[in-house]
Amino acid sequence: MLARELFDIRQVLRKQGIIFAYSGYVTETVLSGVGEAIKQKLTIDDADTKTLRSVFAVFVEQMQNMIRYSAEKVPNSALEPPFIEIRYGVLTIGRDGDDYVVHAGNLVERSDVERLRARLSKIRDMNKEELRASHKEKLRAGPEEGSKGAGLGFMEIARRATKPIEFDFTDVDDKYAFFTLKASV
Amino acid sequence: MQNLAIPASARTPAIIFDFAKHHLKLTGESYPEDVTEFYNPVFAALDAYLKTLGPGSCRFDFELIYLNSSSAKAVMMLMDKLDAAAAKGAAVDVYWFYDEEDDTMQELGEEFGEDLENAKFYLEKMPH
Repeated sequence: MLARELFDIRQVLRKQGIIFAYSGYVTETVLSGVGEAIKQKLTIDDADTKTLRSVFAVFVEQMQNMIRYSAEKVPNSALEPPFIEIRYGVLTIGRDGDDYVVHAGNLVERSDVERLRARLSKIRDMNKEELRASHKEKLRAGPEEGSKGAGLGFMEIARRATKPIEFDFTDVDDKYAFFTLKASV
Repeated sequence: MQNLAIPASARTPAIIFDFAKHHLKLTGESYPEDVTEFYNPVFAALDAYLKTLGPGSCRFDFELIYLNSSSAKAVMMLMDKLDAAAAKGAAVDVYWFYDEEDDTMQELGEEFGEDLENAKFYLEKMPH
């Protein structure tokens, strides 16, 4: 019974081709550790250098997005960094035919959904040349409002992906929606 | 000037600034936990060095296997500093080495190179 409970979860993941799954509070240390495991697994799979680097690059941007922007967070302003806050996210890496698929999700505020959707639609619809030009422009520009990073993460994901990125939102309650972003390499 | 030598870590590149030889180098992977914390001392050392360079010459090698999006911003700032020194009369050679098996890094190098107006830019394959 006990074994069955967890085995069933594992089977659900395996049936979807998932080889790595993380659901929980995300930290830079988790990024480092899981990142090393991904490099090892892809090296054992004999993935080519470009594929390995691209899967890894997408993974890093997805993880850092969750670490920085997930709206599901536990703050404690009484403590010093890195204990001030920790954020929750879900990330899976799986196979779909010959592709590696990096899929990440986290809560966002519903008021941010339209802004995100517009930005991601624009990026999804760009071809490689447009992405390159837009990346260059964004690198020069300051970070966007509501962005703590360089605002370049989504673009890096789209550049590394071998198919158009996919994304979706679903409302969770009055305040939050669940946001997912999927990239195939 | 005191040389700057920071060994590589799993997530940060090695920094080898040999100011006496006017040869500066950044090599490895770059996806630090905190980009600002890692690059601020590097910026400070480069600024101090470039101030003393005047019309002298220097070479900067970027030998990066991988960099994340926030490191790209830091690399752009390094390039801007080098280009500004070249605009003031220094002879600056910037080398971007890429792994030929990863054209994304080659493209990124091209992007940076296009923005250099005064420094000379060389795009080369990493020696194997």
